[in-house]
Amino acid sequence: MMQRIYQNLASLTLGIWLIAGVMLFLAAGSFLQGEGSFINEVALLDWLREVPLRDSWWLWGALVLLALLALNTVLCSIESLRVKWQRGSFLVRIAPQLMHLGFLCIMVAHLQSAYGGFKQTVQVQQGSGITFPDGSNVAFIGFAATYGKMGMATAYSANLEYMAGNSRKSARISPNHPFFYQGHGIYIKDIAPPPQQAALVEIHKEPGAGMALAGGAIFTIANVILLARRRERPA
Amino acid sequence: MKWLLCLSIALYLFGGFRRPLFIAGAVAELAYMAVRGAELGRLPLIGPHDTIAFFSTCCALMALPFLFTPALRDSDFFRIAASLLTAVTGLMALPFPAFNMPMPPILNTLWFELHVALAFFAYALFGVGAILGIMFLRTGDRNSLDLQYKAALVGFSFFSASMTSGGIWGYYAWGTYWLWTPKEFWTSILWLFYACYLHIRLKGPAWEKAVAWGGIIGFGVTMFTYLGVSMLMKSSHSF
Repeated sequence: MMQRIYQNLASLTLGIWLIAGVMLFLAAGSFLQGEGSFINEVALLDWLREVPLRDSWWLWGALVLLALLALNTVLCSIESLRVKWQRGSFLVRIAPQLMHLGFLCIMVAHLQSAYGGFKQTVQVQQGSGITFPDGSNVAFIGFAATYGKMGMATAYSANLEYMAGNSRKSARISPNHPFFYQGHGIYIKDIAPPPQQAALVEIHKEPGAGMALAGGAIFTIANVILLARRRERPA
Repeated sequence: MKWLLCLSIALYLFGGFRRPLFIAGAVAELAYMAVRGAELGRLPLIGPHDTIAFFSTCCALMALPFLFTPALRDSDFFRIAASLLTAVTGLMALPFPAFNMPMPPILNTLWFELHVALAFFAYALFGVGAILGIMFLRTGDRNSLDLQYKAALVGFSFFSASMTSGGIWGYYAWGTYWLWTPKEFWTSILWLFYACYLHIRLKGPAWEKAVAWGGIIGFGVTMFTYLGVSMLMKSSHSF
């Protein structure tokens, strides 16, 4: 009995059906997510707690199938390594399993961010600051912007000051160049046109970012290894 | 310089069934992209005109190596289908104006360019894979299916790398590597679809037709992810 359950859970067919199911739930979610949804404004688990089931059933469905898919991926990898351990080159044996590992890391990353993620949008004026839970403060000292011919801001930035130990330090943020402080990222999203000295800033905490990067890197490296090895033999 | 794009489309449409003319079309289209890039001072990857023209160029470039493989060297069907795919996508770019607006600061990073370029390489390879799937269903020639697998595997690799670079860009630009928007939903669906395709292939010869159909349907999902989502659904990723 247990053997049969294990075989079913480790089967390729189950994996294929689970992937197909996740795709269907996500497709439903893409159409059901209206403009008013605040899914990107709070941590995902908070969204799931606050939104009624009639609006979030697609995500619950996807999560259940993804949990099963994670189990299926682990068992499938173990089975594959057990059966093929003596066959073929080491890299060909290990590369698909590393891709599975990368996939699992990305799922764990999403779980970490869904649990501990944080986002807040703040409008800041010159001289104002953001206070963090420990009482420390990041102050906005000044803003700068360059405008193109069409009046569009082509570059903008903000200068910050903060305390590091006993010394006052400064930093500069601009699009694609956030400042990381106490596990939070400070991002400049927009700047008010002159003569106003104000900017729209977002504070983000993304606990899964490191794990997602590790997962993406493992997946990509293993994928390249697999491609390189597959080139050496007919498909 | 739009005439270069028109010339390439004409070469694909009226001469693409001959390999040298297909190559000439690809060269003209590449020249058009290079001129656009020089005008803008960056890769032309913003707005419907530039992205669709870039996609068309990618289709031509990704089809080229297949034109020289022994299994397809003498295939009129592949040459005509690849020419049509490239020409139709090139034609789709023509009605849209070519904007010369400056790059928005948030897009001014190598991660964005890498993310978009790799995605288009993948889309183009999925297109080539669809043609090869049709060829397999028409003729039953297993070489077509093997080549479809290669196109899908390399395309999947490009697409995975695109998602990784997109995540890095998103983290530095938006503060998160992931947003729940229609584009991200469909990007995940497309990635999962090709992951599924690669796994279905492991089921063995009895599933060959399903694999071929998978490569064809996958291109439909690709087109919906790229054009359908941008045109029919509201997303921060729209053109």
